[in-house]
Amino acid sequence: MRISWVVGGAQGTGIDTAANIFGNAVAAAGYYIFGNREYNSNIKGRHSYFSLTISDKRVRSNTESIDILVSYDAQTIFEHFQNIKNTLIYNPEVINTKVDAVQPMWPETVERVKEFLSSNGYEQTVKGVLNYLKARNIELIPVNYDEIAKKVAEQLKIPLSMAERVKNIAGIAVSYKLLGLDVNYLIEATNKVFKQEIYKKMNETAVREAYEMANAKFNLKPLPNKKRYWLDGNTAAAIGKVYGGLRFQSYYPITPASDESMYIEAHQDVLMEDPVTGDKKKGTVVVVQTEDELAAINMAIGAALTGVRSATATSGPGFSLMVEGIGLAGIIEAPVVITYYVRAGPSTGLATRTGQADLMFSMFAGHGEFPKIVIASGDHAEIFKDAVWALNLAEKYQTPVIHLIEKTLANSYSTVPEEELELDKLRAERGKIVENVDESYVRFKITEDGISPRAFFGKVPIQYTSDEHNEEGHISEDPVNRTLMYEKRMKKLETADKEIPEEERVKIYGEKDAKNLVITWGSPTGALRDILEETNLEFTLVQLRMFSPFPKNLLSKLMEGRERVISVEGNYMGQAALLIKMYTGKEVDSEILKWNARPFLRDELENALIKVMKEGEKRVVLNGGA
Amino acid sequence: MVAHKPVWNDWCPGCGNFGIINAEAQAITELGLDTNKVVIVSGIGCSAKVPHYIRVPVSGVHSLHGRAIPIATGIKLANPELTVIVNGGDGDLLGIGAGHFVAAGRRNIDIVVIIHDNGVYGLTKGQAAPTLRRGEKPKSLARPNINDAVNPIALAVSSGYTFVARGYAYDVKHLKELMKAAIKHKGLAVIDVLQPCPTYNDINTKEWYDKRIYKLDTLPDWDPVVRKPEEVNDKIKKAIDKSLEWGDKIPIGIFYVNETVPSYEERISSISPAYIENPPAKQIIEKEGKLTTIIDPFLKEREVS
Repeated sequence: MRISWVVGGAQGTGIDTAANIFGNAVAAAGYYIFGNREYNSNIKGRHSYFSLTISDKRVRSNTESIDILVSYDAQTIFEHFQNIKNTLIYNPEVINTKVDAVQPMWPETVERVKEFLSSNGYEQTVKGVLNYLKARNIELIPVNYDEIAKKVAEQLKIPLSMAERVKNIAGIAVSYKLLGLDVNYLIEATNKVFKQEIYKKMNETAVREAYEMANAKFNLKPLPNKKRYWLDGNTAAAIGKVYGGLRFQSYYPITPASDESMYIEAHQDVLMEDPVTGDKKKGTVVVVQTEDELAAINMAIGAALTGVRSATATSGPGFSLMVEGIGLAGIIEAPVVITYYVRAGPSTGLATRTGQADLMFSMFAGHGEFPKIVIASGDHAEIFKDAVWALNLAEKYQTPVIHLIEKTLANSYSTVPEEELELDKLRAERGKIVENVDESYVRFKITEDGISPRAFFGKVPIQYTSDEHNEEGHISEDPVNRTLMYEKRMKKLETADKEIPEEERVKIYGEKDAKNLVITWGSPTGALRDILEETNLEFTLVQLRMFSPFPKNLLSKLMEGRERVISVEGNYMGQAALLIKMYTGKEVDSEILKWNARPFLRDELENALIKVMKEGEKRVVLNGGA
Repeated sequence: MVAHKPVWNDWCPGCGNFGIINAEAQAITELGLDTNKVVIVSGIGCSAKVPHYIRVPVSGVHSLHGRAIPIATGIKLANPELTVIVNGGDGDLLGIGAGHFVAAGRRNIDIVVIIHDNGVYGLTKGQAAPTLRRGEKPKSLARPNINDAVNPIALAVSSGYTFVARGYAYDVKHLKELMKAAIKHKGLAVIDVLQPCPTYNDINTKEWYDKRIYKLDTLPDWDPVVRKPEEVNDKIKKAIDKSLEWGDKIPIGIFYVNETVPSYEERISSISPAYIENPPAKQIIEKEGKLTTIIDPFLKEREVS
């Protein structure tokens, strides 16, 4: 069971809040949710929308097709009508709006919509769209939001200007009725968001009024309410980092990374409990908003040298600025985590949208050679666990760890069952730390596995330099020392490669020996897992979770004896496929790619897989999403 | 005493850095600081070799060009027990690292910044650095410098530094006292050290400086200390005014001191009180592998209900 619901409107008008209330109310009835936020790089006025998938099972993706579209303005209708499969809720006051009159719409979208309507013989207005939908048996529900606001104003004896704020919740309530769930879930969810009595009353009145305007048609019954958490990617990463012992984070504001740092700022007062004595102690997670990303990475490196788990969070443009610092962390062997929220580049690109084009950049960022660990999460529970993993890896191998999270995972959320967080399994691994140092201590001791025991500032003098150095940390340009010290650093990656089981770096879903092998990483994993669970398509799904050190043996083995190996990723070059070729010498047979800066959608991906598996297509490019 | 093997010093003979490093070592020694708790952070350039060459057993981070201040900031905030001193050239701190120099002032973090101010990029063979005046042509330049100079004192005072001084590399005794005062100062301190580069800067030489330099504390009514917040504007104006004096007479000494401004560490504790007693470096984040941070309240906020 899967219901797709979308709400759209002008940015800055409370669409997000309304969508969250709706999602809460559905989840409270025991259903699982996957929600994704799409917005422009703008504060107010441009179109933003929220897609929500409702299911009776754990769900990890959205679809292109929409069962219920809740709209308040004309643009939402123009942007999404071609995907509506069941119901449109609309404001009758906008029916005469022409496509041309919608100024916030991108000119290219305007032209495409006009072309579509005229070639199908409909006028280029909302009315034209309604006629198009009517001919396709889509239910059209007009909701006069002004009328509802007026009624609320009259009933509560408040000014109309104040009551107008209920419009969003009214649209939501009409759609909630369609689901057939009890209105009280929605009222409770609303009350959780609005604290003041008058707002609670306003919204409740509007909800009750609007709820009566439609008839239930999906007839959902409440499900047993399992313990689940609402997690978006930014919050999952933030909580994971703090749990993992992060105590210093520096960042420069950038979409879509800042929400993580702002969450930590808001939750910087932490409590630690001694697992043996049960004693509790308060502490502070220091969060510094820096002057730029150069400062952000270098502050985190400085903090790391004191033995504190430290990190920064950024996105492509910021990561570009951090590259020199990452090289510094490489040569001075500073454990630092860079949570890299990948958005659509190059340069500013599409600043608020998603992509997977920074994989190679994260792998190869920095001049010279140094060990770098690169991991990529595929869903919200993984982001939480991987945040702890990243902190462990950084300290164990004393080197920068890059944790890739795409924008679509950062800004989407899902209802995560408690057991997926595996709280009882997560542990700290801090690697080689010397507690009792004396004067014989040297920071960069040449060792068999490349890892030198680490001490922190405050106990003994320690030297670090960005120059090539000897065991003491002083500059040395001696050729033999250079060879040994270089090798020592690089060996750490070999040690990591030996120590981290390849099974932990790759996740396999579906039947193990299917004819078709689908390889992906990051967010498309969600849509692919949903396809495995919901359709008859048979394939072995391989999710790459670590790119450096690369799980080459296991992947190579998995690719053997298949009829077809297919890669799915959100970039033009097929970067993961290229890395696979580089590390295993094996090529994929077909690629499914997407670079329109929108997330992979379950239905378009299913169709693409059919094309590849049944018709043998070599390269399918997807373009779904508004 | 911890063994500290001396490293051979490769600065040019006569380099002003010798005076600075000696003053720094003496200041650390005379203040009786626990050398295990002193960290010198430098950028890139001749000045950046201070942590390798200093003859007191302190820690050092010889980092990236322009980035010494952020690294020092990270160290200090994670472990406020440490004494953190930044050494950098005028190119390092006021050129490529100028953004950090200004931003640090806004924070008033309790560290010391020492500018090795010689007007040239020595290690890359004498290009013009930010404090070289327009029209000047040291022997290393093919043509006269057409950029105006930064005024480090005025920039520091207007950026929010709460201890601003100027020293002279060849007056080690005076410089040492300035450094001691800067280290003791609660808040962000900067010392702009005038420093001849005998190899590339043949304009601002020892002879040139020796003729011009005088000490501010020889002026009978010079008082750079802000004692009440109301005095701030007046003292800032006087400091900037004095910093414009350049030519026949060049003042050295303390230009501005203000301890009425809370340090960044105090600002953090004002919003998160546990910071003073339990800063990041002291927190026990795990015990035998078991993570200690309680996240139940964070998860509770996110629970579906």
